[in-house]
Amino acid sequence: MLPHLINGISLGILFGLLALGFMLIVGVMEVINLAHGSLFALGAYVAVEIIDPSWLGEAGTAYLALPMAVRYGLALVVAPLVVGVVGMGLERLVRRTYGKKAEYGLLLTFGASLVIEEGIRIAWGPGEKSLPVPESVNGGFMVGDLIYSKYRFFAALLGVVLMALVWLFLEKTPYGARVKAGAHDAEMVRALGINIGRLRLFVFAMGAALAAAAGIILTPIWGLRPHVGVDAVIPSFLIIVLGGVGSFWGAVIAGLLVGITVGLTGGYAAEWSVMSMYLLLILVLSVRARGLMGKKSALEA
Amino acid sequence: MTNRRLANLAVVAALGLLGAACNKKADASGASSSAKAANGKAPILIGITADASGQYANSGDSDKRGVIMAIEEMNAKGGVLGRPIKYVHMDTETTPATGSRIAERMIKQDKVAFIIGGVSSGVANAVSQVAQKYGVIYLNTNSSSPSEAGENCHRVKFVWDGNGNNFSQAAVKSAIGTFGKKWLLITNDYVWGHDTAKATRKQVTENGGDIIDEILVPQGTRDFSAILLKLQQKKPDVVAAAVGGDDLKALRTQVAQMKLGEKFAWINNQQDWPDIYGLPRTDLFGVFGTTWYQGLDLPGVKEFNAQYRRANADSKIKTPGNVFYNGYWATRALLETVAKLKTTNNRAIIKELEQLKIPAATRMQHHDAFMNPATHQLQQTIYLATANLTSNNPDDLFKILSNTEPSQVVDKDADGKCKLEPLESTPVYEP
Repeated sequence: MLPHLINGISLGILFGLLALGFMLIVGVMEVINLAHGSLFALGAYVAVEIIDPSWLGEAGTAYLALPMAVRYGLALVVAPLVVGVVGMGLERLVRRTYGKKAEYGLLLTFGASLVIEEGIRIAWGPGEKSLPVPESVNGGFMVGDLIYSKYRFFAALLGVVLMALVWLFLEKTPYGARVKAGAHDAEMVRALGINIGRLRLFVFAMGAALAAAAGIILTPIWGLRPHVGVDAVIPSFLIIVLGGVGSFWGAVIAGLLVGITVGLTGGYAAEWSVMSMYLLLILVLSVRARGLMGKKSALEA
Repeated sequence: MTNRRLANLAVVAALGLLGAACNKKADASGASSSAKAANGKAPILIGITADASGQYANSGDSDKRGVIMAIEEMNAKGGVLGRPIKYVHMDTETTPATGSRIAERMIKQDKVAFIIGGVSSGVANAVSQVAQKYGVIYLNTNSSSPSEAGENCHRVKFVWDGNGNNFSQAAVKSAIGTFGKKWLLITNDYVWGHDTAKATRKQVTENGGDIIDEILVPQGTRDFSAILLKLQQKKPDVVAAAVGGDDLKALRTQVAQMKLGEKFAWINNQQDWPDIYGLPRTDLFGVFGTTWYQGLDLPGVKEFNAQYRRANADSKIKTPGNVFYNGYWATRALLETVAKLKTTNNRAIIKELEQLKIPAATRMQHHDAFMNPATHQLQQTIYLATANLTSNNPDDLFKILSNTEPSQVVDKDADGKCKLEPLESTPVYEP
């Protein structure tokens, strides 16, 4: 039982990380960003290019001589920034839907997800890619007579760090306070002289960057292919609904719950493992229609 | 956000996600070859049912390219019966319902002469049911569930890939002797997985082995950690995995990451080339089956590889692989049969294909291939392979371990299960 529980918790942290960028955008901007999955995939593809820029040819020799850990670390910072810029572009498009029916934003991001996915297919081909990770976090380690994946725990650790950073940003910085206030009452914030347009641009970029970071961290486990985003967006959405839309802690707790549920079912009745997260959602929503922490959103905290 | 607004959003988002999950390709992406009939005769239209999205999109692309190369090759010789060959491709989306719909449309609307293509067994089965209804010959090029030439066989359908039963027979006996008797099955929870696992189970028990557990893996599984933990707790000698498509890719990545490929003897039923191309060879653990490999040291292989490169310069996959090979050979054999018989009459072609024999040298395999008239499955050489760890060539990932002649790996169960419709009750179709 214990190995499966530990495994479930590590999986849960990864699920939480996956939903983080999604949570931020839906919570602050009331836009369900269906391009989340494609941005997730794009982040991973950009990271592959940063880690192994074969297109640089001779010029890249010195760069490639750098240790993998350095290049991986660089990818982990730069790729989300690149995708953040893409996110800004997306926000410029979504901007036209503010104040209109929410379906417009939804359809626009859905369309964007198709465009990004096809773009990936054109740029990198339809086949599988592999996102390399530093050798020091690759392989397995023994606990008792069981082998655990080193990378999975490293990924979970990165997940915790990222979640902590987002929380600190939202709770402890003046800019985080503006983000929350902007979502709470945009008119009042504007009246106080804060540029709400720029604020939304920033939040969207941050959500996109977080999606990319999740992609870089998760695709060494899931594999990397153009449509990997579909695998990401469905659980993200599920976790947000389960945790309560817009709630930071809701997303974290829902991620953990889904991870533990999937982990335990995988260990004892694997054929139910995919279904189990949907059953969990039904169970929770039938008791609490607004999700676990639906009332106490990041915006009210 | 108000409750009502949230509810609206959730409903629309759920619909959107459903759309995303059910795949995103438009209904049909038609393409036609440019052959023109000098004599003004009507072209022969081939419907290609290859997945361009979903689990088997990569294999579908390779399959389609194989079919097209055979068509273009024939067109370069002037077509068949003095008629050029054209094709129309539609995305079957790795979804059986789409397969049925597309087959109906191809036959009723586009008036195709033949339908070719299949990677997912569910799709191939769906397409073949429609094809049988109209008497249209369908070539299942690449789906390898034993049921395709077993309980789901049809008079109009011919199966060109080796199936789970063939591969199991080639692998199981020697694996029990080499690695041990305690076997654990990891099975994709759908028709191909179940059929293949059943075939493996039978082989293992007949050869004195013991199945200690079977773990069912739902389609769409991306995290195998719990399954890999359970696997370790069970301590089998051999793990036989019948997991396909993207699920297999995720499994492979995670097994490689934990270096579990070295801890157990893995028997993976079949490894399709498009599924592994471009990945590190360390991801290619265990022993697996295939019907062909572009690194075979046989006459004609190099020329075939060169022909592939010329015809598929736009493909990211630089070497043909088994899926392409099956698509190519199915189409070529069909068109050669039409040319030989000088007719497109379905009954005449079916009779002829049932007696099909292709010499090993022509097909670039180690043994002669022949059609089993009772099941309509091509009996061919089955190769066992493993990762080639000594090469750095990205196009040379496999090391072929053995080749088994067709008579040694006959799917004996299929003969009993397959009940072909009588030829007389199959509608006449002569496009």
